[in-house]
Amino acid sequence: MHEYSLVQAMFDRIGEAVRANRALAVRRVHVRIGRYAGVEPELFRAAYDVFRVKTFCADAPLDIEDASGDELLLERLELEVP
Amino acid sequence: MCDSCGCGDSNVVPFEVHERLLAGNDRTAAHNREHFHDHGVIAVNLMGSPGSGKTAVLEATAHALGREARLGVLAGDLATDNDAARIRAAGIVAESITTGSACHLDADMVHRGLHHLPWRTLEYLFIENVGNLVCPAVYDLGQDANVVALSVTEGEDKPLKYPTMFRKADLVLVTKIDLLPQLDVSLDTIERNLKAVMPHPSMLLISSKTGSGIGEWIRWLRGCGTRRLGACAAAAGAGAAL
Repeated sequence: MHEYSLVQAMFDRIGEAVRANRALAVRRVHVRIGRYAGVEPELFRAAYDVFRVKTFCADAPLDIEDASGDELLLERLELEVP
Repeated sequence: MCDSCGCGDSNVVPFEVHERLLAGNDRTAAHNREHFHDHGVIAVNLMGSPGSGKTAVLEATAHALGREARLGVLAGDLATDNDAARIRAAGIVAESITTGSACHLDADMVHRGLHHLPWRTLEYLFIENVGNLVCPAVYDLGQDANVVALSVTEGEDKPLKYPTMFRKADLVLVTKIDLLPQLDVSLDTIERNLKAVMPHPSMLLISSKTGSGIGEWIRWLRGCGTRRLGACAAAAGAGAAL
């Protein structure tokens, strides 16, 4: 169940991006997960859904893109700015 | 203006990240690695299922190598100090990293664990990871080599069921081979399955109980010591490649 600690790490990074851009909210999160990343995408999504409640990601859908190697990447965000 | 998704919302902007989710852990792992290299410490991340014989391997290593080399162990354990206590009884320094409910070690836990060991004086630091064939493979700790213990009692297909773990392994120690006469397990099949998933297949057959294969394991470790820096797999290639 390390997916929860991975999502925690992702939220730390998203928080940095939100502060750096003075964003009001995150509108979309896009990650890439390889088949050998050691991560189960549906568990990752479940963890994301637990974490995002009442956060800047509350209304941000999570896009998970498949990959063939051990990629485990936060690719991009869509940020709502003032 | 958002040009990437076509939503047309003028207040939404794309922000490219392209960063590993574990970038923070990677930075701490690089810091650990720098410490180890600066002080001439070879760090080995020992992984495997619960009951695969990781602690017994370290006890056997302590008996075989402990008089001629300075060894130490950080032992990841969910709830007890049992593994570290066993290793200390074998004559080498060992400390527990109690993870609570966490199913793996990360680089920060190892860094904090180092504060409780005289690690700068060691030639070899073994990091006994939490018993688990999934999560520990994801986290870089700053090690020179990943070694996976796979006991013959676990059956033949673990490499195929847990490919991420075995893909990351520089060496697989097939443990408890003294039990083979009691089991319906084929070493050829284990070897074939390891070859199917490991980029540089390498395994040693050992029994911590009888001492069989421990000499080869020590030679493999010595190869890590002399070649260093990602060359452990190459060192293994000299004697244990499949």
